[in-house]
Amino acid sequence: MPKRVEERVRPITPQLAWRVAVLGGIAFVLFGIVFFRLWYLQVLTGQEAVTQARDNRVRKVRIEAPRGDIVDKNNVKLVRTKAAAVVQMVPSQLPESVREDADAYRKNLAAAESDRLRAQDSYDALRRQLKDDGRKDSKAEKRELSALRKQARAARPVQVPTVRLAETDLIALYKRMGKVLRISPKTIHKRVIRGIADAPYSNVTIVTDVERAKFNYMRENADQFKGVVVEERYLRRYPEKQLAAQIFGRVFEIGPEQLKKDAYAGVAQGTRIGQSGLEKHYDKYLRGTDGYQRVVVDALGRRDDQRIASVREPKQGQRLKLTLDYNLQRAGDAALAKAISASHFSARAGAYVAMDPRDGAILAMGSAPGFDATVFARPFTERIWDSLTSKATGEPLLNRATDSAYPIGSTFKPITALAALETGLIKANDKIFDNGHYELGPQKYQNAKGMSFGSIDMSDALKVSSDVFFYRLGEQANAKNRAIQRWATKLGFGKTTGIDTDGEAAGLVPDRRWRDEAFAKYEACVEKNKLEIRTMAALYKCGGVERTWTTGDNVNLAVGQGDLQATPLQVAVAYSALANNGTIVKPHFGQAIEDGNGVTIQELPNKPKRKVKIDPEARAVVLDGLHRAATEEQGTSADVFKGWPKEYKLYGKTGTVERPPNPDQSWYACFVKDGDRPIVIVVTVERGGFGAETAAPAARLILSQWFDVKDREFKAGTDQSN
Amino acid sequence: MSATSKIQPASEPPPPLVPREWRLRLDPLLLLATLGLVACSVIAIKGATADDIPGDPLYYVKRQGIYAIVGLVLMYGVSRLDYSRLRELRYPIYGVLMVSIVAVLALATATRGAKSWIPLPGFNLQPSELGKVLLVVALSGFLVERMREMGRQTTARVMLLGLLPTLLVMAEPDLGSATVYVAGTLAILFVAGAPWRHFAALIALFAVSVTFVLVAAPRLGVEVLKPYQVSRLTAFLHPSADPGDAGYQQAQSLTAIGSGEKTGRGIENATQTSLGFLPEHHTDFIYAVIGETYGFAGCALVLSLYALLIWRALHILTISKNLFGALIAGGIAVMLLFQLFVNIGMNVGIMPITGVTAPLLSFGGSSLLSTFLALGLLHYINAQARATADRKGRAIFQ
Repeated sequence: MPKRVEERVRPITPQLAWRVAVLGGIAFVLFGIVFFRLWYLQVLTGQEAVTQARDNRVRKVRIEAPRGDIVDKNNVKLVRTKAAAVVQMVPSQLPESVREDADAYRKNLAAAESDRLRAQDSYDALRRQLKDDGRKDSKAEKRELSALRKQARAARPVQVPTVRLAETDLIALYKRMGKVLRISPKTIHKRVIRGIADAPYSNVTIVTDVERAKFNYMRENADQFKGVVVEERYLRRYPEKQLAAQIFGRVFEIGPEQLKKDAYAGVAQGTRIGQSGLEKHYDKYLRGTDGYQRVVVDALGRRDDQRIASVREPKQGQRLKLTLDYNLQRAGDAALAKAISASHFSARAGAYVAMDPRDGAILAMGSAPGFDATVFARPFTERIWDSLTSKATGEPLLNRATDSAYPIGSTFKPITALAALETGLIKANDKIFDNGHYELGPQKYQNAKGMSFGSIDMSDALKVSSDVFFYRLGEQANAKNRAIQRWATKLGFGKTTGIDTDGEAAGLVPDRRWRDEAFAKYEACVEKNKLEIRTMAALYKCGGVERTWTTGDNVNLAVGQGDLQATPLQVAVAYSALANNGTIVKPHFGQAIEDGNGVTIQELPNKPKRKVKIDPEARAVVLDGLHRAATEEQGTSADVFKGWPKEYKLYGKTGTVERPPNPDQSWYACFVKDGDRPIVIVVTVERGGFGAETAAPAARLILSQWFDVKDREFKAGTDQSN
Repeated sequence: MSATSKIQPASEPPPPLVPREWRLRLDPLLLLATLGLVACSVIAIKGATADDIPGDPLYYVKRQGIYAIVGLVLMYGVSRLDYSRLRELRYPIYGVLMVSIVAVLALATATRGAKSWIPLPGFNLQPSELGKVLLVVALSGFLVERMREMGRQTTARVMLLGLLPTLLVMAEPDLGSATVYVAGTLAILFVAGAPWRHFAALIALFAVSVTFVLVAAPRLGVEVLKPYQVSRLTAFLHPSADPGDAGYQQAQSLTAIGSGEKTGRGIENATQTSLGFLPEHHTDFIYAVIGETYGFAGCALVLSLYALLIWRALHILTISKNLFGALIAGGIAVMLLFQLFVNIGMNVGIMPITGVTAPLLSFGGSSLLSTFLALGLLHYINAQARATADRKGRAIFQ
């Protein structure tokens, strides 16, 4: 019987023992390696790993701080912040095909834009070539040029792709959303495609400001709205809609360039900041302090709301208190609207300023046409932007009280008067015979309708607004070292007033130097372009300064016509200087910064810009003229202010600016300087006709509100002087 | 009537303290290590997978527990088996091994997916795991037969027998199991006493083929390893190069283990695990979970249990009553050592990511059951050795 192997072979030989020892040794070494590696990882460098693990999981999520409110001087809220529901879609949760379509759409858009740029280039090149070759352009060339120009003006429209029929889930989702939000599925898809094409990684906003019930419904039925985010965001509210809409300005996300600026140090990307108007000027107060939430995220970036690590609550921005008087503002807007509708020339634009002459506090300011400030609450669409800025709609976004500079007509006469008296061109009692006509070389001037006022002194001239009187002063002043210009500049014309909004126009005080320099530029331009001086082509190409300075320019300036350009606000500042005896105030809206409970944190500075020394006698003469103009028989605005209570001593001056080919522009500037509620009011109505006709009655309505005078009828004056 | 039959023992062996029939024929220390590791596994899996299956926080724990219980029963059953019979069954065993692996490959081709398991009712059998034990047993059987001619030919044949299933498993693709097969084959050869120069030659051959697979073949356009396999294999050399790919897993694992520091962060604060930064936290990277949750203390405990396991396996090797048992014990010991070192090394960033699981620790039925099978064999070898020793009156050093 053969023996079994295991009995023949001795199991443990010396060789095997040796080899097992080797195996044991290897095992020992391996365990040692692991042990020391663990020691290194966990004991020696464990702290670093702990930090790393924390960085892994904690993300800081910004909580937007609501912006501060803007209130009037009596704490009436003009701009508020309110949480609103926003419906957004998350691109990454949409089907792949949507992103592909959006991508294609973006490419098509880019292609269209690059075609446009190419057309622009060819247009420029062709035009240059046609101009340079010296021969007359053929019809075909002209046609090609105009075709190219058409292409270059706007990119060809690109169709937004419609939703693919295969995406039945998405179509169903759109339908559900559309039903709740009351917008068509097509519109939703359009917004999705445009949004993704615009910014591929951020959520697409479908609707802002969703009603509470819809918001709740979508939140509660989140499973039906996959890929839809319903969030609360802070939106600006404008409870007064049109009221002072132009001054507040827009709020939208900080741009990449702004992020680099020191003024926005510490502002996180994506923060919405004030981008214009008061919102921009007082942004650092209104903005508030963002809070944040440290949230725990998992490896896929999903938030784990059970494990909120820490929260810092956001702090609402501070409250901006304005100098505006809500009631006066309302009365002002209404008065301006009445003045505009009273015009015989289908006027639709105008502006007014009501200001405290002592410190430049704006009590009311309005510009027509207006718009509902609610558009500021959300990003502008192109359509809204167009409607706010196009000529067809009358540029409602433009604040005509500060941003539009016009010739101001006879309302400039007090400045001319002051200059003439101060420089000794004329004495208070010197009389000039006004026969209604005035000649300067070949140029003939006359009073409105050729009216003759007979022998009048300065005060009379202001009262009846005699042009001839001031023409003469203008002619004389031309030799007198810029007398009128100096005084106009002193009183704030030709420079921005420094008001605390943006977009302010500087205006222009024309003088010899300005005109001669501008003409030299014009000549050079005409020369360069091989054009003829004083042709239409030259006018279009090189501007309107077609001649050097003449005495006639100064004559025009004396009555506020010609090249003079000033904003209603500048007129208000100049009249304030008359009222307050020479202080050039800095107009401002901001009065104080308050906390949420209305406790003042900081009074905003409103130091006057400078003080001008005015000869008391000269001032007395001018004030007398202005007072008589508003109160005495034959005064330009006397009939408008018939029955005005004597205790509020009124000084006022009409103005009528000839603006061919358009109808006249109506002006009225006035003030009540005595008592504890002094006020300066300037009103202008484009296409408003005579000053007494539309602007002065509007000013009276505003004054009536301010002094609580019962008589609130719009009484058009009959005076037809300039 | 031979002379040997007349020889009487000098003295009767002392009567055993406990009657032999009563004795549990298990090695107590090996059992202790086994139970300890299974306990660690269940605890770690419970902490790691609490949020994985919504509504069933104990999904993985329950399964691992059931596998462990089934495994323990299996282990006990195997420990009562006469393993010497297995030697005669070496051809069927090898046949089962090859057929199961080929079956998996065929199934994967049929379903056009890379799958390494056979779906059974309620359980996915992974033949490559079971194959580890089968291979060791079959190869040991072959070797014992050719023990007396331990030449170049034997080495080459055994290597070939070992490499055949290795290549098939590699094609699954299951690179991890393939390396374990190679380690097991080499271990058996080593214990059987193959000359040193054979190992030197094999190592040289290995170096050449690695160079070929990683460098030469891709240049020639032949893809032996899939690109992701290559990147996983080489990622440990530059762990934090790109957190987006293979290096990411290892970096997260290192962060997890390191952040456990000395005593761990506890289940609540083990964010690497609970927030999903750690990949495969119940299988490949379970050791990192223990490291993060229980710190150096936990890691060291597991390491000691493993050390105990390996020590007992090597000890059983030495007391085996015959060479077949010694070869099996050697193969199993080295396979376990290799697996645990590769897995833990991958967790602590000193070994490539190969998908080798930690024996007894990682979640997975096939792995657990085949490990218990192997441990059952060890217990039986131990029991046989002790029975023989008892019979022969030899004392065995514990």
